[in-house]
Amino acid sequence: MDTFAPDLQEKIQSELTRYETPRSAILPVLHLIQDYYEWIQPDHVAWLERDFGLSRVHVQEVATFYSMYRLEPCKPFRILFCDNLVCAMMGAEKVMDKIRDHIGSFPEGKCPFSLQGVPCLGVCDGAPAMLVNKDRHLKVNRDNVDAILASYKV
Amino acid sequence: MEFPKILTRFENIPNSRALATYEKHGGYEAARKVLGQKPEEVIALVKDSGLRGRGGAGFPTGLKWSFVPKSADTVYLLCNNDEGEPGTFKDRYILELSPHMLIEGMIIAAHAIGAKKAYIYTRCEFYDEIRWMNEAIEEAYKAGYLGANLLGTKLHIDLDHYIGAGAYICGEETGLISSLEGKKGQPKLKPPFPAVSGYLGKPTIVNNTETLAAVPWIITHGAAAYKAMGTEKSPGTKLFCVSGPVKKPGVFERPLGYPLKKLIFEDAGGMIDGKQLKAVIPGGASAPVLLPAEIETLTLDYEAIAAAGSMLGSGAVMVIPHDQPMMELLRILVNFFHHESCGQCTPCREGTGWLANIVQGVEEKTALPEDIEKLYQIALHMEGRTICALSDAAAMPTKAITKKFADELKQTIYANSRLGG
Amino acid sequence: MADTVTFRLNDKNVTVPKGWTVMQAAKQEKVDIPHFCWHPGLSVAGVCRFCMVHVQGARKLEIACNLQATEGMVVRTDTPEVKEAHKWGLEFHLINHPLDCPVCDQAGECGLQDFYMEVGKYPSQMTRPKVLKPKAVDLGPRLILDTERCILCSRCVRFEEEVTKTNALGIFDRGDRAIIGTYGEEKIAHNYQENLVDICPVGAFTSKKFRFKQRVWFLQEKSTICPGCSTGCKIQVHARTDRRTYYRVKPQTDEAVNGFWMCDKGRDTITHLNRESRLPQAQMMIEGKKQTVPVPQALNSLQRAIAAAGAQHTALLVSAHYTVEEYQAFFDYFCTQLGVKTIYQWRGDKEDRDAFDGILWRGDENPNTAGLLASLSQIQGRKVEARNELVACVAQDPKVLIALCPEVPFTSTWFQGDLAKLEGISHVSLWTCRYEATEAAGITSWIPMKGFAEKTGHFLNYQGAKRELEEAFPSAAASALSVVEAVQQLALPQPSVTL
Repeated sequence: MDTFAPDLQEKIQSELTRYETPRSAILPVLHLIQDYYEWIQPDHVAWLERDFGLSRVHVQEVATFYSMYRLEPCKPFRILFCDNLVCAMMGAEKVMDKIRDHIGSFPEGKCPFSLQGVPCLGVCDGAPAMLVNKDRHLKVNRDNVDAILASYKV
Repeated sequence: MEFPKILTRFENIPNSRALATYEKHGGYEAARKVLGQKPEEVIALVKDSGLRGRGGAGFPTGLKWSFVPKSADTVYLLCNNDEGEPGTFKDRYILELSPHMLIEGMIIAAHAIGAKKAYIYTRCEFYDEIRWMNEAIEEAYKAGYLGANLLGTKLHIDLDHYIGAGAYICGEETGLISSLEGKKGQPKLKPPFPAVSGYLGKPTIVNNTETLAAVPWIITHGAAAYKAMGTEKSPGTKLFCVSGPVKKPGVFERPLGYPLKKLIFEDAGGMIDGKQLKAVIPGGASAPVLLPAEIETLTLDYEAIAAAGSMLGSGAVMVIPHDQPMMELLRILVNFFHHESCGQCTPCREGTGWLANIVQGVEEKTALPEDIEKLYQIALHMEGRTICALSDAAAMPTKAITKKFADELKQTIYANSRLGG
Repeated sequence: MADTVTFRLNDKNVTVPKGWTVMQAAKQEKVDIPHFCWHPGLSVAGVCRFCMVHVQGARKLEIACNLQATEGMVVRTDTPEVKEAHKWGLEFHLINHPLDCPVCDQAGECGLQDFYMEVGKYPSQMTRPKVLKPKAVDLGPRLILDTERCILCSRCVRFEEEVTKTNALGIFDRGDRAIIGTYGEEKIAHNYQENLVDICPVGAFTSKKFRFKQRVWFLQEKSTICPGCSTGCKIQVHARTDRRTYYRVKPQTDEAVNGFWMCDKGRDTITHLNRESRLPQAQMMIEGKKQTVPVPQALNSLQRAIAAAGAQHTALLVSAHYTVEEYQAFFDYFCTQLGVKTIYQWRGDKEDRDAFDGILWRGDENPNTAGLLASLSQIQGRKVEARNELVACVAQDPKVLIALCPEVPFTSTWFQGDLAKLEGISHVSLWTCRYEATEAAGITSWIPMKGFAEKTGHFLNYQGAKRELEEAFPSAAASALSVVEAVQQLALPQPSVTL
């Protein structure tokens, strides 16, 4: 395949005309691509220039600037665990250790999870908090985290 | 005790996000009322109310609106819903309770400044809230509150929802504008100010979600009613986010000038597990930390907190317990700002990295007690030197922690060093 | 409304046009405000935060580059607070800088070095490991980028955006991980690459051609005009006279013609000037063999040939690479004094004279077409159009031909092919700066000429604007002459040399 899937192309096209300038669509378009392919591949950036006229330097600048864009292949379930002030005070590091154990319990290469510490998720009243893909989990602790993760199956 | 409910008036109301619920409780009446008025009248009313920006800086909202040049043909209204200041979760709460309150506030603000196009900029991690907001926008369009000839007038206001991608700096108003332009979220040089040259070089007003959501109430109840609450210089109510090891963490709407201790120990139920209060961060991660002695009589308004050497900021009150090592807190803070510095201004780019680098030395057992003074000096010279306030946001808490907890930090270094450990 | 403002800069009242920044005013007043990201030819970025000045009544220091001068403003560049800001500003620039000055080509002309002596923080308090980034990145045929030396001033990014409009460079990632670069492995391909080296305030961008060649403090600089095309960019040639070697060309600011820039082709116009490419001395074909001779001997032989053939059988073939002063001396002597009437232009057949790249380079790659045409018009008494007249010249069947050869080899690739067409003329005297590719059957003598950087005078550029070759290096070829000097020798009374 040397371009985006047809249904995605259509969505990209409509984003490009949605804002005052096509460049304004760079963030939304990258979200679309990421939602579609899980991660943003080098080819995607090149295609955005070739097929949609977005400067690849501009696109790449954006893709590398914002931390929620994934520029490498990723696991099916991505745990973004808040390790900022409040969650840290509420024991985030210990829960993350538990998650690391959970991840370590899978046979090599079979673990569907990745774990990453992220800045504040804006739910400090539910600290410690994490996202698993787009699901938010609050008050995650050493006792409930295994059960939460167990609900994610490939 | 009962407190005025402006932003939280949909608490405990079932199905509060639905348009029908909002309408049932007088929703969009303020917009209806305002659209027949001249923009100047609306601005004057908001000025009179004394409403100040709730994003952190506390700039008078009506005054900000009045900066848009009268001759401007294209004006944009942007709602800063990027809520990224650690400890802050109030805007999220507004979306959870009543996204229509925000939409109505934006219709009024757009009319006041002459904007035909408005955007809400939301951080992408708010997946549920984004969905709720989108649904509300769709409802509002269908019901004729947005789009052409809205509410039967000749006005045309379009509202779109733009989603960020993980960058704290986009909460800075010109960083947000850059991001909306599809660029890296790097703040823009001022002057020119956004009210003159903002999104795509057009006059642009950026207001925080909480600010805009307060506007319908002010229109309905009048400036005097709003001003009757809070303090003279900080009128109205504010959402305070209490977090940390307290019994009832959450969002509390209180009049400005409310006692901080009361908020922590009564409203939020005090500390859990018999913990003692070690310090409080009163306004988000960038606000300098305050000691228990400093908050004894402290009230939550812009002036009082500034006088105490910190800032009201976003109203994020983070409670720090006695067993919290301050070096760990400092590490998290400097790492956060290091991670989030956009990198364009040298003092911030290099300074945040340097702070984080030195604190890393503690972990590597290479730090020296004098590094604490060095951290202070670096922070001191990062302050007031950059395009935006991120550098200051990193510097201020660093200065406060290294000053107020110097002994503890030095002990940590010693205990962690090859000498001590 | 007044269109100027007067404000106080240190101890002086300064009047500047309305809208000027304090930085622009300071530049005009020769008040030094240290800076990295500001460049007069680019938009204001305001990111290095180094040009801090004190404004009376302001809450904090302001950056001069984005501070519009207003009536009555009181600005100081030398308060203790400003000095402290400079000290720390520089320290922030240096904490992750590799400080590899001994191997850095920028040494001697580096902003970091220059300011350190003045405002640096002694001793540095940076004791932690530095951020490591890619080094020696190949960014194009002429460019190497060291991203560790880079201070992220964004001049290069703005240049690619605003001047070449190629958007070839970006700053990727953020914070102190930010890195300048192209997309992927892409190379910068345009004709203005070395401007990036010029505007880089540190040694991040270096020129592949100049890299590791020479310490800049050994170079002498002469101000002249680029001979690469008819734009006539004001340039500075850098050379070591003790080694008779030319090292590099830099643009000089000339707002009306080239602004702050020049093209890469122009940078190569010194290559042929170096000794190894030069015709070192005069040469003559003597009894079928090419022999080195003293210049006067070669000139005498030419004179005798003209005397024998007569002015009516003598022709001049003239390329547009010489100064107006040289043309005047040349035509004065040959036409006015000797009475030669057959004068031909010599230029490429296939040139696209009207081509223009939108920035600086023009398709007429002769530096003085306008000057030559003006001189010819004077002599011939009619307006002369630019065209190659070699064929017409040969068709005249002259017995003696004096050919002023094009100087810059890569803009006159037609030269060697044309030489072959001169066979059959009994005396051909080639006046040439270059040595290579001047061999052809039928050439009688070779007179060594000075290159553009070795003579003064002026060109007329494509607009007819006077472009002054202000300063001259001593010639790398010892016996080389300018046309003016050669003609002066010819005009001397005949020496009584017996050949």
